[in-house]
Amino acid sequence: MKDRKLIALNQKYYKFIPVIGLLLAASLFLPFINIKEEGLSVSFFAILIKAMQNTGLFQDNVMLGILVLLVLAASVLAFVSSLLAIFLRKKGAVIFSVLVYIFCSLSVMVVLFTITRSVNASGLINVKFLIKYLGTGYWALFFLSFAGLTVSLLTAKISPGYIVLVLMSVIWLIPILWVILISFREEGGSYTSYFFPKKLTFNNYIVLLTDSSRFPYLRWYGNTLFVAVCSCALTTLIVLSTAYTLSRLRFKGRKTFMNILLILGMFPGFMSMIAVYYILKGLGITQSLIALILVYSGGAALSYYIAKGFFDTIPKALDEAAYIDGATNWYIFTRIIIPLSKPIIIYTLLISFMSPWADYIFASVIMGDNYENYTLALGLHLMLTKQNIDTWYTRFAAGAVLVSIPTAILFISLQKYYTASVAGSVKG
Amino acid sequence: MDKSKNIKPLKGIAAILKEQGRIFRDGDSLTKASFFVMGAGNLFRGQIAKGLMYLVLQISFIFYFIVDGIDNLIGLYTLGTREQTKVYNEAKGIYEFVQGDNSMLLLLTGVTTIFIIVFFVIVWNANIRSSMEAQLIKESGKKLPGIIQDIKSLFDSNLHKLLLFFPIAGLLLTTVLPLVYMILIAFTNYNMTHQPPGKLFDWVGLENFRIMLNSAEKLGYTFWKIFGWTIVWAVFATFSNYFLGMFLAMLINSKGIRFKSVWRTLFVISIAVPNFVTLLVIRIMLQDQGALNILLQELGFIASPIRFFTDGNLARLTVIVVNLWIGIPHTMLITTGILTNIPSELYESARIDGAGPVKSFIHITMPYMLFITTPYLITNFIYNINNFNAIYFLTAGGPPTLEYFKGAGKTDLLVTWLYRLTVDSWDYCYAATIGIIIFLISAVCSLAVYRRSGSYRREESFQ
Repeated sequence: MKDRKLIALNQKYYKFIPVIGLLLAASLFLPFINIKEEGLSVSFFAILIKAMQNTGLFQDNVMLGILVLLVLAASVLAFVSSLLAIFLRKKGAVIFSVLVYIFCSLSVMVVLFTITRSVNASGLINVKFLIKYLGTGYWALFFLSFAGLTVSLLTAKISPGYIVLVLMSVIWLIPILWVILISFREEGGSYTSYFFPKKLTFNNYIVLLTDSSRFPYLRWYGNTLFVAVCSCALTTLIVLSTAYTLSRLRFKGRKTFMNILLILGMFPGFMSMIAVYYILKGLGITQSLIALILVYSGGAALSYYIAKGFFDTIPKALDEAAYIDGATNWYIFTRIIIPLSKPIIIYTLLISFMSPWADYIFASVIMGDNYENYTLALGLHLMLTKQNIDTWYTRFAAGAVLVSIPTAILFISLQKYYTASVAGSVKG
Repeated sequence: MDKSKNIKPLKGIAAILKEQGRIFRDGDSLTKASFFVMGAGNLFRGQIAKGLMYLVLQISFIFYFIVDGIDNLIGLYTLGTREQTKVYNEAKGIYEFVQGDNSMLLLLTGVTTIFIIVFFVIVWNANIRSSMEAQLIKESGKKLPGIIQDIKSLFDSNLHKLLLFFPIAGLLLTTVLPLVYMILIAFTNYNMTHQPPGKLFDWVGLENFRIMLNSAEKLGYTFWKIFGWTIVWAVFATFSNYFLGMFLAMLINSKGIRFKSVWRTLFVISIAVPNFVTLLVIRIMLQDQGALNILLQELGFIASPIRFFTDGNLARLTVIVVNLWIGIPHTMLITTGILTNIPSELYESARIDGAGPVKSFIHITMPYMLFITTPYLITNFIYNINNFNAIYFLTAGGPPTLEYFKGAGKTDLLVTWLYRLTVDSWDYCYAATIGIIIFLISAVCSLAVYRRSGSYRREESFQ
């Protein structure tokens, strides 16, 4: 039986909205806090009555009062929304219940994250409060809030995937946000028991960039930039010419060469780092930035595979047409194929910039104790050793933020080339 | 197995020898002379620059071989005979060190010499072929190409030589030479107690492999334990990232979600931050007295700290979970493109037949994705076997345990163990042995990709 008022809604789920609302209101009578050691088991309803009898209690503990009000408001609203859903039967009722359940879900989260502190601060119970003391009443409230949100979103034909996405992006963004906050924190030390800094300051950045007596951060930044840019340029040239040769030109030993590259690529990259170190020593360039550039771009031919996949998809007819017109292979490479290869060139540049930017292993083996020529990965790692971490932790965070800015900008703005190239290679 | 494949390199060499024989038989006196005096065939036919180049190469090689090469080869065989000794200097009244042989340098120069010899043989072969070529051109009455034409051909018919020159040079110097050196070290006893210049090391054959694979010895025991964990880690890291990343991609791709690119960018931010930064931060956060533990206690979630990194099994679980944080956005980006390529008619007809979303996932999405991404999965598996950063920055292999050889830890992978054996305890020969074993594992896996990968099998079909 279709209800004409609910035309734009998914009626399959509509009936659940009132059910969940009523259940949610009913869960107020289940034990909300349940402390076995104390023999204390009290429902939210009982707490509410106690609060009304003794309003002074909550004037002393404002936070606790706010929590009680939040839960009360959430359950009353949920109850109202279920009444509206039963009697009003309009689209407005569903939209209202979506909003209500967003409020409910946020409230139960707030309760979860603040109740311990509020209860402990109030001194109402004798033991230290723990989350495990929350009883079935609270958890019923918790799950019903999210269930209600899901159901009302489904009814309103909004994907409940948003709930998962929001939760996931919180998980993914919090560590990053946290580092940014630490980088502005005035209080030193590596461990704090609170999320938001008490005082904000730019001092960490200023010290990091100007005071080079202990750690020459600015110099390291310059080193890393220099190494990354140079090896990025060299790597790209090598990758493109290898990939182009193996994809478009036919010559004796081509398959053999490809097999050799495949086999070489299977050895763990830094297995031979000690040998590399001695060879560089033999050439007299250990502990120098040139050595790093050489090491990062020397083996670049091994990663030709993705670029070759790209060149393989450019129709060979193009080459042939040019060849008939008398073009040389060099001309075809530089004037015809390269201009068509913007995505793969950008991808290669991006990757070959980011990997030396963040490399630790080779830099650590090659640079040894030559502080001056350290790169950022080494330097930042150094700031976290036991003797440095206490004073340098907040500055480390500032340093980490500064390291991430260039790669973040590059990566986010060039994301589509990255996706296209990698996905293209996977499909092969 | 295919037998003809195994003897392919031998066949190649046989073919080259056969060709040399043919050239010697058919060549005129000048070509025959090129077998002994390089460049003769080119020089006396008018290709002066080319001929001189060959000649100079030959002379300098012979000079090098007599002065250095022979000693280097002997050194490579013996790896040094005189150990560093203390001698009493009566005039000064003190003990003095007398420099002995340095096995490490002998090995390195020996390997370099072999490389030079191989290079010379290749040049020599090119020389006789070029001489034969010149002879044939001359016989047919055409004009021989001069040096200018030769250089020009580098930009056209010989472009591959020009383009591959720098890649190959780079590879030889920074990859092949060190790798050969390191592979050879796996057959020596170059460990902590045999450190040049104080001590010599020597060839020991397969001894290192015997110790490494024998679980009765402490080293072997450690190896098998770490090997087992490496495989477990690689399987979990690969598949958990794969399925959850795909789930995220499907979620963002699904019909009802708006602002798809905004959501994607939110997750991409975590890729854009260099992963040593995030891993170090997470390591600090998860210490026993770290921010997360303090916060969780403060908020009442736990009564005592969770030992994320100090309890062996928990540490293993922690690295796998943290790796999800790093890996899911990656997989999401990669699978997004493929998911949109699944023909929508498939879903349409499944829907008409009454299949729900779960059914169409199991019967359409999954088989399609698995079919297309198998090579990616296997490469990713190899990547995870070699995933140094995820372990080293989080736990540095810890927590260490006394059961293991020299402080190796419960979360050590073969690669991080290799790194620590090299950098911390200088047991190069064991590190090299592990490197070769990792190579064998990767080789077996890659062979699987290789066989399946369409782009290899049907290489020409696109073009």
